[in-house]
Amino acid sequence: MQITIQFFSYLKELTGCAQSSETLAAGATLGALHDRLLEQFPRLAPMRKSILLAVGVDYQSRDYVLQDGDEVSLFPPVQGG
Amino acid sequence: MIQLRNSACGMKRELILTDQPIDESAFLRQRTMSANMGAAVYFLGAVRNQEQGTTISAIEYEAFEKMVAHQFGLLFAEIERRWPVESVRLTHRLGVVKVNEVSLVVEVIAPHRAEAFAACQWLIDEMKRVIPIWKKALAT
Repeated sequence: MQITIQFFSYLKELTGCAQSSETLAAGATLGALHDRLLEQFPRLAPMRKSILLAVGVDYQSRDYVLQDGDEVSLFPPVQGG
Repeated sequence: MIQLRNSACGMKRELILTDQPIDESAFLRQRTMSANMGAAVYFLGAVRNQEQGTTISAIEYEAFEKMVAHQFGLLFAEIERRWPVESVRLTHRLGVVKVNEVSLVVEVIAPHRAEAFAACQWLIDEMKRVIPIWKKALAT
């Protein structure tokens, strides 16, 4: 299945891209995708615990099972106001 | 820019994300209150000239706008569930906001001040926890 990934804020600078895509086996979890991205973009590793994960417009936990076509977003802690 | 308004039934909600300066006077003039409402609480957030010990000239705000709209919708629904609030309006600047300029205005209208203050405080606290907006300090 194909998953689209968006990076926000300084994660774009750390990865060198705003958007990416990954092909994953059916049943893959958001946590598995997160781990794969940390390997692919080692500069994200120091933020492993603080990176927030969303699928579509909702926050999801690492055990969320991804669906084909999901749009996953990774971003640092939010700072509005 | 996003503008969402919902007042067909229940609590009136308004969310604006804009890259234009916030007109505080216009925001105040647009207030509408029913006769049984006794409290309107306002919060203005302005950009300070210090960020983590460094003097700055501006902050650049970035948002995941689609998710911002959805997550504010969830927060507004929770306010409506928890307090007898008639109306919530919130405008947040995006893009470059200079020092002293207003980055955020919030209005909460309720029958009494206690619930208006509580709902406004809760909304801003939750915004800083879940709303996907980020800032980047720009040096002088």
